[in-house]
Amino acid sequence: MKTDYKKLAEQVVEKALKKGATEAQCSIYDGVRFSVDVREGEVEQLISAGSTSLSLKIIVDNKVSTASTSDLSLKTIDELIENSIRKTKYLSKDEYALLPELEKFDFNLDKLNLYDDTAEKVSPQKKTALAIELEKMCLANSRVKRSTGAGFSNSYGTTYLANSKGFSSSYKSSYSSLGVGLQAGDDDNLYEDGYFDSARSLNDLLPIETIADKAITRTTRMIGAKKIPTQTVPVILEPEMSTQLLLGFLVECLSGSNIYMKRSFLADKIGEKIASNNFNLIDDPLIPGARGSVPFDRDGVPGRKKIIFENGVLKSYFLDNYSARKLSLKPNGPGPTNLRLLPGEYSQDQIITSVDKGLLLCSTIGQGTVPTTGDISKGAYGIWIEKGKLTYPVSEVTISGNLADMLKNITMIGNDPNLRTAFSAPTLLISEMTISGK
Amino acid sequence: MQNYPRRDFLKHCGIGLGVVMTSNIWLNELLANPSKTVGDTLLINYFGFSKEQLKKLLEIGLSKGGEFAEIYFEYRISSSLTMEEDIVKSASENIMLGVGTRVIKGNKFGYGYTSDLSFEKVKEAFLAAAAIADSSSGNKVANLNDKKNTKQFYSMQNPVALAPLDPKVDLVKRGHDAAKAYNPKITKVTSSIADEMQYVLIVNSDGLIISDVRPQVRFIVSATAEEGKNRNTGRGNAGGRVGLDFYKNTVTPEQIGRQAAEEAITLLSAKDAPAGEMQVVLSKDESGVMIHEAVGHPLEADGAWKKTSIMWDKLGQQVANPIVTIYDDATIKELRGTLNIDDEGVQCENVMLIEKGKLVGFLNDKLSAKILKHKENGHGRRQSYAHPPIPRMNNTILAPGEANPDDIIKSVKKGFYAITYQGGMVSGTGKFTFSVNLGYMIEDGKLTYPVKNATLIGTNIDILKEIDMVGNDMGFFLGTCGKDGQSVPVTCGTPTLRINRMTVGGIA
Repeated sequence: MKTDYKKLAEQVVEKALKKGATEAQCSIYDGVRFSVDVREGEVEQLISAGSTSLSLKIIVDNKVSTASTSDLSLKTIDELIENSIRKTKYLSKDEYALLPELEKFDFNLDKLNLYDDTAEKVSPQKKTALAIELEKMCLANSRVKRSTGAGFSNSYGTTYLANSKGFSSSYKSSYSSLGVGLQAGDDDNLYEDGYFDSARSLNDLLPIETIADKAITRTTRMIGAKKIPTQTVPVILEPEMSTQLLLGFLVECLSGSNIYMKRSFLADKIGEKIASNNFNLIDDPLIPGARGSVPFDRDGVPGRKKIIFENGVLKSYFLDNYSARKLSLKPNGPGPTNLRLLPGEYSQDQIITSVDKGLLLCSTIGQGTVPTTGDISKGAYGIWIEKGKLTYPVSEVTISGNLADMLKNITMIGNDPNLRTAFSAPTLLISEMTISGK
Repeated sequence: MQNYPRRDFLKHCGIGLGVVMTSNIWLNELLANPSKTVGDTLLINYFGFSKEQLKKLLEIGLSKGGEFAEIYFEYRISSSLTMEEDIVKSASENIMLGVGTRVIKGNKFGYGYTSDLSFEKVKEAFLAAAAIADSSSGNKVANLNDKKNTKQFYSMQNPVALAPLDPKVDLVKRGHDAAKAYNPKITKVTSSIADEMQYVLIVNSDGLIISDVRPQVRFIVSATAEEGKNRNTGRGNAGGRVGLDFYKNTVTPEQIGRQAAEEAITLLSAKDAPAGEMQVVLSKDESGVMIHEAVGHPLEADGAWKKTSIMWDKLGQQVANPIVTIYDDATIKELRGTLNIDDEGVQCENVMLIEKGKLVGFLNDKLSAKILKHKENGHGRRQSYAHPPIPRMNNTILAPGEANPDDIIKSVKKGFYAITYQGGMVSGTGKFTFSVNLGYMIEDGKLTYPVKNATLIGTNIDILKEIDMVGNDMGFFLGTCGKDGQSVPVTCGTPTLRINRMTVGGIA
């Protein structure tokens, strides 16, 4: 018989209170995962499994202790509760360590469409065939040298959360993804890239032809890339780069814990003009069927849409319950979820045409981001722009700057965000960054 | 969303795994006397299975024509304790219990796992793995024999994971307070200790039963310094497969706290890093990350048989300057990447990779060794029971040379000296970066002023030839290495090195 995890989560909370916790919270994830990796037309690995895990938060007089386990036997859970309570004796009182007040959902959870069962009904053979077909399509292109592997995966599961404020809810979610990695170029001067698409439903994945096309283009356009001299020039971020590089780093700088620990250059900057005029960034966890949607966060705070930047002015951080209390602000629910930088009016072509000499940034490699200062320095691949035209590919250079400057120096915003991903942003023109090369 | 085959190395992650004051269902016996347990296959009573059941499960694994079947049991207790903003803020504990099943057929494998240790569920997981093969004839399972693990490269004295909380509270306080006391400009400090004890049992159709008990601990302090509008964060850390005494006898919490504070304070006066090609000197302390990316990853043998590594066809070739010798040695006592046996039950050893500039070896897991017809060398590792083993590094080291480190700096007219790192990354094509957090400019053979945040970029086959001075000192960098979605603890080591020409990616 299937365990009733909703009930189990509620029972664990009750038990914790009985054993001495002043507040308690329990979450459980119960899910299934399938993945198949193929290379050179054959299956290379096949993974299929189910897994369950339980997490616990115990608060005794403003002292917080957490635990988690993949062993859901009652004996282990009991021991974890007792241990956690015992451990709080060693901790200091933290006035902000409290569960959030219970808030009602002002949306219909069932209409979020986070779950679709198509992938469960499709056989492993069919899923394997998708990956094989995708790889075959890519290898048919004579400029592709090799595949590093194509893969299909899907997962689904249910998240349960209950706490002593009376919260108890759950949601089921699913993902499917299909993609391929490729290499192109000559013997010792290879370039590696690819494309992966992902969606809530297998039916909503991009057609194989489209994924193959994107993977082939992204990889082969770098053939013959060369190093260029060190210089400071305008840089255009493709939508993938606007998303991964700019939004990815920005999110880290907006996280509540980095703000209260002053490990972000955006600490104490609410209400200030940080970015260029038409920089508008919103986060909305409640878009039905979207890749990043989620109804509530790990403390049971309901999802709500929030404006992060409005016309370049910083309006909000990502605040979980604890960091919100620390900063005397209201928790604003799960985030980042579907993070969207609103599009502007220009096509990518128009933006490229506007640049006399500069770099179209295609991908980066390495860490090199420091939230405390906003400094960025990363390995870069791109295409050189000369007199408004794309010319030759560039590699083995780095790109450097500071996020605060980049945000101010966004001079053109494209009309081309990819709304299939959780984070999305259009092509952006940054008026100057340093390229380090020869 | 993304799944490109890039490998990375991160200095700072891994805090947040959940400790233990837990007595628990599996381990009561062991906890009483953890020091005697290496290779003790009494280990947890085969996780509650009989030898007959294990054999039966392996037979199910081979029932569809698989050639090799394996069961990987894991029990891991981990914990962390964090002090932040002057208070001991949180404690966490994590228990991981589960079993992974694998069936190999030719060059491919199937994998299943479950956290439910009933015979039925493990059987189900094996049937999922067995589906990789498709014939009806089953292969035979050899008789199962306990194999004693005779080597012990970890410290089993006073394991941190089994220690009471008091001494750990004391450690994080001392680390925190030392960072705070270093300079009044230090305004925010996080000090945390994360530890674990991992118990693995590996059983396979070749008849092997072997186990290992692995302690791991890491102490990290992060300090933020403020001066007017200028703010910077520095970090210090130390740990390994060590016991509590490590923080008394080898590195004290005060040293770790001061290291973090010193870096943060120095960064306050750091200028922007230079941009362009120049001579680069890598200091001994953390520069092993370069070797990890430029040499280690390209020499993991899966990239060799798949031909996705730029080094796949270079065995026997002179790929580096003859002063360069690089090896991966999992058997160095008590380092973060050290192992007695790998996650396939193969005895670990010192594997020579580049000897006097010549490529002589790859890091193998069982599957790669079989396909390449190489000798197994104990480098199959996995993040947990929910992950299949793949070729990985342990402690990757560039051997010390003869140059005096001071002379190396003196030899540089104008260049860049790299000291601390955020990490590094490499693609299969050999293009790699490593990200420097703090460095210095070298002018006329002297360190002049500090510089911050620069990415250094190169291609491995070029850079190996550009290493032209090797110091007689040695330092180790503790990290967490990511590959194919799996993270494992590693160490890398180098002496002071000079790279004749490399691109430094700063702003100035």
